[in-house]
Amino acid sequence: MSGTTGLQADKAAAVRKKHNFFVRLRKEKYLQIMALAGVAYILVFNYAPMFGLIIGFKNYQIHMGIKGMFTSQWVGLKHFREFFTYYDIGLVLRNTFMLSALKMIFSFPVPILFAIMICEVSSLKFRKLVQTASYLPHFIGWVTVSGIITAFFSGIDGVFNNLLLNLKLIDSPLDILTNPNKFYALAVLSDIWKSFGWWSIIFIAAITGVDPTQYESAIIDGAGRIQRIWYITLPGIKGAIAVVLIMAMGHLLGGGLSGSNFEQSMLLGNNLNYDRSMILQKYALQSGLEEMRYSYATAIGLMESTLSVILVYTTNRLAKKLSGSGLF
Amino acid sequence: MLKRTLEDKFVDTFNYIFLTLILIVTVYPFWYVLILSFNEGKDAALGGIFLIPRKFTFENYKVFFTEPKWVGGLKNTVLRTVIGTALSTGFTAMVAYGLSHRYIMFRKTYFNLLIFSMYFGGGLIPFYVLLRGLGLLNSFWVYVIPNMFKPFMALVMISFIREIPYSLEESARIDGANDFTIFARIIVPVSKPILATMALFGSVAHWNDWYSSVYFVTRKNLKVLAFFMREVINQSLTSDPTQEQLVATYQGVYDNIAVTTRSMQMATIFIAVAPILLVYPFLQKYFIKGMTLGAVKE
Repeated sequence: MSGTTGLQADKAAAVRKKHNFFVRLRKEKYLQIMALAGVAYILVFNYAPMFGLIIGFKNYQIHMGIKGMFTSQWVGLKHFREFFTYYDIGLVLRNTFMLSALKMIFSFPVPILFAIMICEVSSLKFRKLVQTASYLPHFIGWVTVSGIITAFFSGIDGVFNNLLLNLKLIDSPLDILTNPNKFYALAVLSDIWKSFGWWSIIFIAAITGVDPTQYESAIIDGAGRIQRIWYITLPGIKGAIAVVLIMAMGHLLGGGLSGSNFEQSMLLGNNLNYDRSMILQKYALQSGLEEMRYSYATAIGLMESTLSVILVYTTNRLAKKLSGSGLF
Repeated sequence: MLKRTLEDKFVDTFNYIFLTLILIVTVYPFWYVLILSFNEGKDAALGGIFLIPRKFTFENYKVFFTEPKWVGGLKNTVLRTVIGTALSTGFTAMVAYGLSHRYIMFRKTYFNLLIFSMYFGGGLIPFYVLLRGLGLLNSFWVYVIPNMFKPFMALVMISFIREIPYSLEESARIDGANDFTIFARIIVPVSKPILATMALFGSVAHWNDWYSSVYFVTRKNLKVLAFFMREVINQSLTSDPTQEQLVATYQGVYDNIAVTTRSMQMATIFIAVAPILLVYPFLQKYFIKGMTLGAVKE
């Protein structure tokens, strides 16, 4: 258009943009309110505490309140150094790592195996029954499960010991709840019991998504039941396996597919099995909320969160490279 | 017609046996808790009860409903579950509706904030400092307010809302409805499956939470049932209790009854489990859908 300079055109465009901005804002004002309600919420409850992480670099005391985050004295990496020179750091880290690793190895495959077995059952009634029952442990919470565990495995009146004694399989009750050497097994097995049914949901859905004609042609080619499972079912659900694997790796510090380390340590850990039941998260909590070493505990928490993020990000990158898809 | 080979018979038999074992291992603990809760505590301490109660009694439950701490704990648990779940489901759903529109301004920023918050956090201590600063410590609202928004559930709901045909919303807009009206009158009724899933997950989390009662609340009359359940567990774990301690008549206030700490614990556990037991089988198809939506990308 002749007569309009570039500058004038830009200015006109800017005015139009500003006008559009306010028009749009007015049009979507209710939607913005709804969205901002959520954003405001996470700013307060998620991002404010993130900012509060600076406590880990300061000498903070709880009586200082929120203001104290700003006014307390900077001490740099003092608390981090303190943690790395803690006399029992080896024990704490070893337990945390071992529980996570053991759960990864043993808890992870169980839902997959269970899903395969369930899908191989022909009776619909039996399938539904076992499936429904398998979800129950997931819903009842670790306190309840721990209550059941203490009742079952108690050295005095536990039904487990009772039964074994009656069957003459042992002569004296097993000290499952108080022996550190039994804690790992207790933790891993109870984690499996509690989570296998729930996590099998994803795999069962994936298995039902596998193309049935593949099985038909395999049968024609003479493949047996086990062969069909190995060569068709398993590869068919590899996408689901990858997704759950990434999720599990991201929760690695938490332990198992559902992050059970902490609750197990808090509820089933005691002075007697301390050597195996004390984990990083419990140590941080006790240092902070029980021993009032707020800055110290914050420093530990910061390291944990950072490690977690790195884990999630790395496993996602790896998954993308290997199978072409990731969580995000 | 498929022929059943020898391998088929083998695999099927193995399958049925193994799955039945799994069924027993999953269900028996609950059965055991049930029968023990209806058995006289002192008698149960003698051992030998596996399948049915030996000395049937309602005593354990009677003590539960008359003891202030148990009843109080139950009351607080029920209250927080109902109020907390209603608020979190409603609030999360509303925010999800706002965020689900693909054209709203700043949506990229909102989503980035949301997703990042799911993976990184300040940890426990800064959160505690925040609660203290907000005055939520030692108040009933510490159970409700910090649990009002669930980012993961919001994302699931956003996917769900985006599947709803726009024509529904469009015709309402033409009729002059604003976004809140559309949310309440159209989105909510259509989203019943997702809302049911969110409500289920929310209630389970509230019902089972012991942690807040231990660290965020000191007033005994605010503690929830899970807190007292944990107390019992701690009592029996700090040292191997002696036979006398376990069989001890409950607090001596009630004489001539055979209630023990253990039998009380069983009644408590069963009361904690019963509501979930009754509800979750009926919501199966909802949470199965929610779980697969959240995890398996199409």
